[in-house]
Amino acid sequence: MSNWKTLLLRIGEKGPEYGTSSDFKDHIETCFGVIRREIERSGDQVSPYLLQCAEQLPHKIPLYGTLIGLLNLENEDFVRKIVESVQANFQVALDSGNCNSIRILLRFMTSLLCSKVVQPASLIVVFETLLSSAATTVDEEKGNPSWQAQADFYVICILSSLPWGGAELAEQVPDEIERVLVGIQAYLSIRKHSSSSGLNFFLKGESENSPSEKDFLEDLWDRTQSLASNGWKLDSVPRPHLSFEAQLVAGKFHELRPIKCMEPPSPPSDLSRENIGKQKHDALMRYPQRIRRLNIFPANKTEDVQPIDRFVVEEYLLDVLLYLNGCRKECASYMANLPVPFRYEYLMAETLFSQILLLPQPPFKTLYYTLVIMDLCKALPGAFPAVVAGAVRALFEKISDLDMESRTRLILWFSHHLSNFQFIWPWEEWSYVLDLPKWAPKRVFVQEVLQREVRLSYWDKIKQSIENASALEELLPAKAAPAYRYSLEEGKEKTEEHQLSAELNRKVKEKQSARDMMSWIEETIYPVHGFEVTLTVVVQTLLEIGSKSFTHMVTVLERYGQVFGKLCPDNDKQVMLLSQVSAYWKNNAQMTAVAMDRMMGYRLVSNQAIVRWVFSPENVDQFHVSDQPWEILGNALNKTYNRISDLRKDISNITKNVLVAEKASANARAELEAAESKLSLVEGEPVLGENPGKMKRLKSTVEKTGEAEVSLRESLEAKEALLNRALSETEALLLLLFQSFSAVLKERLPEPAKARSMEDLKSEDGNSSAMEVDSENGNPKKKTEIGEREQWCLSTLGYLTAFTRQYANEIWPHMEKLKLEVFSGEDVHPLFLQAIFSALQIPLQ
Amino acid sequence: MASLFKEQAKLSAYRDRRFSGTQEEFEEALRTSSTVYIGNVSFYTTEEQIYELFSRAGEIKKIIMGLDKNTKTPCGFCFVLFYSREDTEDAVKYVSGTILDDRPIRVDFDWGFQEGRQWGRGRSGGQVRDEYRTDYDPDILSLKELEAQRQLVDYGTGSLGDERRGGPRGGGEYGQGGSNRHGRGGDFHRKRQRDDDRYGRDNSRRNSDHETRRDSDHDMRPEKNPRFRESGDSDDDGEDDRKRS
Repeated sequence: MSNWKTLLLRIGEKGPEYGTSSDFKDHIETCFGVIRREIERSGDQVSPYLLQCAEQLPHKIPLYGTLIGLLNLENEDFVRKIVESVQANFQVALDSGNCNSIRILLRFMTSLLCSKVVQPASLIVVFETLLSSAATTVDEEKGNPSWQAQADFYVICILSSLPWGGAELAEQVPDEIERVLVGIQAYLSIRKHSSSSGLNFFLKGESENSPSEKDFLEDLWDRTQSLASNGWKLDSVPRPHLSFEAQLVAGKFHELRPIKCMEPPSPPSDLSRENIGKQKHDALMRYPQRIRRLNIFPANKTEDVQPIDRFVVEEYLLDVLLYLNGCRKECASYMANLPVPFRYEYLMAETLFSQILLLPQPPFKTLYYTLVIMDLCKALPGAFPAVVAGAVRALFEKISDLDMESRTRLILWFSHHLSNFQFIWPWEEWSYVLDLPKWAPKRVFVQEVLQREVRLSYWDKIKQSIENASALEELLPAKAAPAYRYSLEEGKEKTEEHQLSAELNRKVKEKQSARDMMSWIEETIYPVHGFEVTLTVVVQTLLEIGSKSFTHMVTVLERYGQVFGKLCPDNDKQVMLLSQVSAYWKNNAQMTAVAMDRMMGYRLVSNQAIVRWVFSPENVDQFHVSDQPWEILGNALNKTYNRISDLRKDISNITKNVLVAEKASANARAELEAAESKLSLVEGEPVLGENPGKMKRLKSTVEKTGEAEVSLRESLEAKEALLNRALSETEALLLLLFQSFSAVLKERLPEPAKARSMEDLKSEDGNSSAMEVDSENGNPKKKTEIGEREQWCLSTLGYLTAFTRQYANEIWPHMEKLKLEVFSGEDVHPLFLQAIFSALQIPLQ
Repeated sequence: MASLFKEQAKLSAYRDRRFSGTQEEFEEALRTSSTVYIGNVSFYTTEEQIYELFSRAGEIKKIIMGLDKNTKTPCGFCFVLFYSREDTEDAVKYVSGTILDDRPIRVDFDWGFQEGRQWGRGRSGGQVRDEYRTDYDPDILSLKELEAQRQLVDYGTGSLGDERRGGPRGGGEYGQGGSNRHGRGGDFHRKRQRDDDRYGRDNSRRNSDHETRRDSDHDMRPEKNPRFRESGDSDDDGEDDRKRS
């Protein structure tokens, strides 16, 4: 990379580029010296790169802003073009609803005001345009209040750029900025408080859920007001322009031109709760809230900083995570070295965990945050590991209130994290969970973390890792041998089934075809032994043959899957097949899940059969004590969803290709027609059409392009048919899923009169529960522990919420049908509906 | 995203000599492939461990263990095939350089698995990339990483004293981490038990599976290892039989 680029990129960093200096002023001067020369040499290249740096390293915006201010003194024209580009990009971002660009570019423009590049009044106009668009959107008559998410977002953008130029605005255009702030206050009074129920990390008591709790915008407004009352002074935004103030005053302002905001879609014609809910959902998907604060550390532990500084640091961290995704070294290094004069390890941990646990989903996979946390533990060895451990402890204490989806992600993160640090953890701190009932969330959490650790490593290793809390061994999964019924051991009785199994085994070894095997089964086993024995022998034997590894299993399913398929053609039989699979792999949760997943992939079992199996009594009893049934249900839903997404992607690709082919074919026809209408001389005679060779070529092109177009259209139709079928299968699946949830919940939930909210379940007197027996341990149960039935209900409702929220996009199109068949009727339990509606963000009436 | 630093990063430092096309074709293959090559894997790491780790990046289509061409046992590398390119990219971005079975594994885009590539190409029958690598010595890296980690794992509880770290566990792990290429290390026996000798005991079947898979890979319909097979696709017994005979 050439020198000037490196200087731009690395400005403000401690490193070889800027020698020994870590002073921003030196950096800016050095960089300015090189850039001003570079502009003369290759002016066109500098500006895009500079903008790219400012957009992708937004924590350095004040440095870039000051640099541009200095350039403005010498080369007004260059800077005018930069301002024009920024503005053009900003308009594009507004038009396309590109949240990150809108936010960052507005901040950049505000920062350019500090270095006397942007005219203050014109920035105020930009603010006011955004504000008035927001006010119109939430207006019942003129706008569409369902799109409040967009309106809020615009206002959040204004507020969140004030830390970068509030002081200057207050000094240069005091009346105007005051007017903006008054306008924001007015907006806050007409918008609705946005309820976050269904997206909270923790199940909250009613008191905490009251409207007095601030939503994100209200909270940011408070922070901004306290910033304003503090004379717009804050620590987290560097103000390098102050060192150059004497020079910068001479700069000539550039005016921002007016902008145009995106208009929200019109409100639904039928203002039913569902239609409004659907629009709100769409708006939230478009303008998602970046962060939900996770206050897990006690106030005396976290860094004592101004509220607005907390906000700014969160912005820095989230932006580094966003823009440096995939650049491992830089990401960790920027996160660890933000340009702020205070420590922020606790804040950083809270921000990272808030992303891992974010609902409905974070911008990246858990895997990414896992990597970042590992890297930060290495980059800040003295400080960060202990903070991470503190976060784990704090979350563990609140685990019974943690959302089920978030909890699952925490388990995946934690097991993976420990696997990278030799599985060292002070387990003895948690060995007391063994004294808790087997459904206690803390105990289940430990058990599931150990389960995942064993999957990432191996049993003996994990057993060793809990050496100093050896009692916890009880929570380790069984040592993973399959439960094969027909092993030939000396001295053991050899039944007829043993012989059948041996025979089947021999046929596989001899590589008999699936068809031959099937006819042998149909002729010899089935008529004599009946379905159940046949199924047991076939499943046990074939799974045993494929038990050595994932690949062995796939190979057996590939070759003999049809045997299962023929034996179990309908859902009823497939449910039995799944029970057999689970019996064979009962000691290995991973292989159970993988086997079922592959069988669904080969369509040997349907997704409906999996749902039915998960909701069969043997599993329903496990809902609160094990994650396994939920993992399998989750896999089935995920696979169904992935297939729809694949088809949608295919269709969108083919549609593009069809357009291209259409054009090619039309061009070919036009060319042929043109040629046909031409007169040419053949052997001295004038004939219609060009010379025969060319005509032939043109005709063949018309044919070929035509065929290509037709064949593309055909494959498009085929894919669309598949998608339609997949969608109707999804509808059937969703119906079954919600019916199943509704049925098991109705059996176990207390009467509606006794349980109006999830909170009621928690406070319910455990003694009234019929299922609650804990004589096994002989431990007198602590009063604070929740009863078994109540925990079962909480876990099940929690998963119901989690799945509904995760697949909300797929659920909305089937809402009418679901409402008709599952969500209405007198015997539907209100808590069942509450779980679904909160997950879909539909307000309860 | 993050295009500022991307230009510095190469798609893969390794150029496979088996790839028959040009450098451009090779790079194009890497850019579109949904296969990753995983190196510096412990000889004892199982497919299931790999499945657990890599399924966190996305649904896995297939895993192919790299085998020593002489002993037919895993020799420290494997291929993982995903269904989607995006998941493949995430696996490279987020898993490479992290620890699996005490070893920092490396994850690279791969131009696509072909039959035969599961065999180690080293002179000893093992993993060639490590044999010819000069910029990257897995043993040294592994020891360094482990040492670094040891210093990091301090959760400030006071209960994790030196006694624990210096204990028998510590010693064994150092051995394992660095033992891969030069004989089988400290916890050979323990791991052996776990593995149930799954590759050694039944080489003949293992090989025949690989043979079978090679055959079936040519058979384009119905799709092999489907993410979710379309219900219209039916297995054609006849064709299957013909293929196998």
